[in-house]
Amino acid sequence: MSEAKFKLLVAPPAIVSSAILVLLFIVLLYYSLPALGEYGLGLLASPTWKPVEGALGEYGLLIPLAGTLVSAIIAVLLAMPLALASVVFTEEILPRGMPRWREAFVAMIDVMTGLPTIVYGLWGAAVLAPLLGDTLYRWLYEGLSFIPLFSCQPVTGNTILTAGILLAIMITPFIYVVVRESYRQIPRTYREAALSLGTTRYEYARIMMGMARPAILAGALIGFGRAAGETVAVALVVGNTFNMPSCLLAPSYTVSSLIANQFANAQLYPLMLNVLVSGGLILLLIGIASNILGIMYLRRVRYVA
Amino acid sequence: MPDWRRVKDRIFTVATVLLALLAVAPLFHILATVAIRGGSAILRGGVSFFTDPPAYPGSEELGGVGPALLGTLWLGLATSLIGVPLALLTAVYMVEYRESKLARATRVFTSSLLEVPTVLIGMLVFLVVVVPMGRYSLAAGSIALAIVMLPYTVSYVERALDGVPRTYREAGYSIGMTRAQVVFQVVMGIASRGVAAGVLVGVAKVLSETAPLLFTIGSARGSYPTGPQSLLEPGDALPLLIFQFAQTPYSNWQDLAWGSALLLTLIILVIFTLLRLLFREVKL
Repeated sequence: MSEAKFKLLVAPPAIVSSAILVLLFIVLLYYSLPALGEYGLGLLASPTWKPVEGALGEYGLLIPLAGTLVSAIIAVLLAMPLALASVVFTEEILPRGMPRWREAFVAMIDVMTGLPTIVYGLWGAAVLAPLLGDTLYRWLYEGLSFIPLFSCQPVTGNTILTAGILLAIMITPFIYVVVRESYRQIPRTYREAALSLGTTRYEYARIMMGMARPAILAGALIGFGRAAGETVAVALVVGNTFNMPSCLLAPSYTVSSLIANQFANAQLYPLMLNVLVSGGLILLLIGIASNILGIMYLRRVRYVA
Repeated sequence: MPDWRRVKDRIFTVATVLLALLAVAPLFHILATVAIRGGSAILRGGVSFFTDPPAYPGSEELGGVGPALLGTLWLGLATSLIGVPLALLTAVYMVEYRESKLARATRVFTSSLLEVPTVLIGMLVFLVVVVPMGRYSLAAGSIALAIVMLPYTVSYVERALDGVPRTYREAGYSIGMTRAQVVFQVVMGIASRGVAAGVLVGVAKVLSETAPLLFTIGSARGSYPTGPQSLLEPGDALPLLIFQFAQTPYSNWQDLAWGSALLLTLIILVIFTLLRLLFREVKL
């Protein structure tokens, strides 16, 4: 096979592979335009969702957008301490004479990243949501209902907070991997310098985490992107109700779970398909933006030893 | 007078260990629940769990997940047929023409694809394949899944090919091999473990995906895909069945969902163990 033929064999697949993302963006934009033309900014700012079969309904994405943001932010806030503690646990506490335990722990984290999201969703809907509804949410409502976030009486366990908690469990391994990778790159001389000061483990870990700060931010962003885009697991626990997520103990909606529930039948309603596609376009932008920002932060982690 | 630095250190250590254990605790609860509820559903159904279609909702009978299991296998096969060659050739291009503009663009675009929510890939395939074809089909699902597979497999294979030392290529050229021969006979051979890892990771990812199937395969719960011609028909898959049955109030359908979750988890754990045996570091 000549050089030219070889190139002819491998270049088209590369073109196809890179064209997919471009095609995705163009198709989503193309189908979004009619909705943007009809509803304008109201598409993002209106909380109304009134489908009318065979006639033009009123559609605003404010509630699912807020739900996506709130659930993803809860997920990152809860996942971060777990991920950072796991990094310190495997990198500083365990290695002293226990390499097998360390390997086992890392294998568990790996399995968690690979476990199908639908399995998390099934467990979340059947086990986690009822459990939280009967315990934590009752306590939060009874004890802390003077805080607006906990001021609504929980009816079931399917709430925006459950979505956030389930997402936190799911994204912890991803944040862990991002932070651990750059934690390991901290040069030996820095570590020795910190240790030579006679630091306790706590002081030492604080110094190391300070050095890994860009990676922590990157992990938060990448975790946020994952959480915002997660679909089926959230759809099973979020309650799927058009309800502003101002109280965390009530059901709500997210953009992805709205798409999962409504997209297949959206063609029955004029413009509903286009509205859902524009929701998808926003998810695409959130996913790409959080990834690009995350990579930018990771690039800043360049230690000069 | 307590030494506050030591006290703080103790508290920190204990809290760290507890939080780290809390991070992995859900895994055990999930695996145990899936094993118990899924296991009892499969034991109750016996062989027919793997062969029969689901029984009527709310019926005393359980039925099985035969069509969904078969559908998942066909999807895995068809997706690999589209996705693996595409990913391998793309990775070869990226490594061989590293400095070209197209190679750089491909690297950026495929790695960004990794962060695209997979439900959007289902949306794309619905709009550009399902609507023009006028029907849901396993083929449409395979196209969606091949797109999901692409970035994972490309990044693994690219790294594997990239890691092959120059001297091997030069040895190939020195005995008069063409570039194609060097790539496919020498480099691929040396990098074969990494290439296999890329394919396995891609397959594991694809078998466990639900969102790209929501608007593409049509959940035809009773139809058994028997041959390649069935790819043009609607079909079912285990993850999709779990998603839809979990939302129903019927206990026999929920049992089928748990049984399917156990099957799916076992498939993923087997692939994961294979990867673990072949290679030390695994990232899914």
